[in-house]
Amino acid sequence: MTGHLALSARGVQMEYRDRGTGKRLLAIESVDLDVPDGAFVSLLGPSGCGKSTFLKIVNGLLLATAGEIKLHRVAKGREDAMVFQDASLFPWYSVLDNVAYGLVCAGVPRKEARVRAAPYIDLVGLQGFADKYPYQLSGGMQQRANLARALAVDAAILLMDEPFAALDAQTREVMQAELLRIWNTARKTVLFVTHQIDEAVYLSDRVVVMAARPGRVVADITIDLPRPRALAVKRTPEFAAYEEQIWRLIQHDRAPSAGEPTP
Amino acid sequence: MILGRIARVNERVFYGVLGFVGLALVWETTANLGLYRKSLLSTPSAIWKAAVTDFGSGTIWPHITTSLEEFAIGFFVSLVVAIPLGLAIGWFRRVDYSTSALLAALNATPNVALIPLIVLIAGIGLESKVIVVFLSAFFAVMVTTSAGVQSIARRHLEITRSFGGSQWLAFRTVALPSTLPFILSGIRIGAGRALVGVVSAEFLSANKGLGFYIGLTGSFLDTSRVMLGIVLFGVFGVVLGELLRVIERRFEIWRPDIRS
Repeated sequence: MTGHLALSARGVQMEYRDRGTGKRLLAIESVDLDVPDGAFVSLLGPSGCGKSTFLKIVNGLLLATAGEIKLHRVAKGREDAMVFQDASLFPWYSVLDNVAYGLVCAGVPRKEARVRAAPYIDLVGLQGFADKYPYQLSGGMQQRANLARALAVDAAILLMDEPFAALDAQTREVMQAELLRIWNTARKTVLFVTHQIDEAVYLSDRVVVMAARPGRVVADITIDLPRPRALAVKRTPEFAAYEEQIWRLIQHDRAPSAGEPTP
Repeated sequence: MILGRIARVNERVFYGVLGFVGLALVWETTANLGLYRKSLLSTPSAIWKAAVTDFGSGTIWPHITTSLEEFAIGFFVSLVVAIPLGLAIGWFRRVDYSTSALLAALNATPNVALIPLIVLIAGIGLESKVIVVFLSAFFAVMVTTSAGVQSIARRHLEITRSFGGSQWLAFRTVALPSTLPFILSGIRIGAGRALVGVVSAEFLSANKGLGFYIGLTGSFLDTSRVMLGIVLFGVFGVVLGELLRVIERRFEIWRPDIRS
């Protein structure tokens, strides 16, 4: 297990052609990133820095214009599984069928997929909600189901695209602590995209700070806080120091373009 | 007391019936007060009398069954053709491109204008009516179905791709369920159009059917029987609407109930 890279990215570049002006836009300039097996790594940056785009490239939803992505090969199942932003459950499926859907996509017969998905509903704390429909769940519970769907396919690396961005502050903190508990149990590699500094510091082994226009990595900071982490760690001076350090990096980067109209 | 309980248990039915009874009462009273000539609009009691006579002698039954048959066959065939075609147009861009201009041109032609041609080709029997009913319902069903497919949320399609599911799986598990509400409203609109098709085809050339019955009795200035025909179409419309409601309910358990 140890020593393997779950993900290795070299010179990943993403270029768009603007439909209106026809001009080329560099969404991601060139990103190198190594994620070791079992690590929790966050991509942090303002909107437009290409962090979500990078995640979609890793997932295969988008094709990079240049560069190379290597995912650690696994014996069976998918290499990676995505946890999407809000409202990504199918409203016409029950919680159980939503959680089983990743397996169905992998060709598992529906009946067997349901059996295999059931334990993950318990793991994410949704006992008793298997037969409910998404509209009957709160935002936090929907994201638990979303996480369970990704966990159920037993992929080597979890890709999480701002999964808690749409939740209120209290629910978000509960979900962050829950995610660490589940991560501890499931022992997955996680690549987590967020624009919230405290979220990235609290969850991660490493925070990769990105900047926009063009999207690029500006810093890679190792978070040396003891695990398991309780939410109280957010009120320690060490935590504050990390927040301060990252905040300065982002401010520094933002300064020259201050006042520039955002597209 | 009892009325009060019925009103609470099934408000929709209670007030629906109440509306009908109210209208009939107003109609009957204003006619008896001499506010207009009874021979022009008839009265609920006169329509009732005509109904008792015609149902009693059985002379109206062939008209009803003929119209029902034309409706059922024409509408069924239009669903069988329009739903798969609408799905294909919505799902495959190239099918859309190669058929849209053609179908738009056909749709722009009023169906009534085609009836003389259809009669010339298919005669004045069942076949020509079925064709008119088919054409009347076809576009509403097809257009709403394809619009439904084209309005699928992108993020839902992304999920299937993200987990490595095939296009066919995405069609079955994402496109079909999210298009279903559109198909059902297409069926609802199409059913209304099909009914219009039945009447207009029977007006222009027929020797049986409720539309023919209305036309025939109208030419004898028998307004009670004209109204009876209209009421029967109305009853059919209500029954059909309720049937579709039951089907819609069945398919939409995942939708929060807005009405209650």
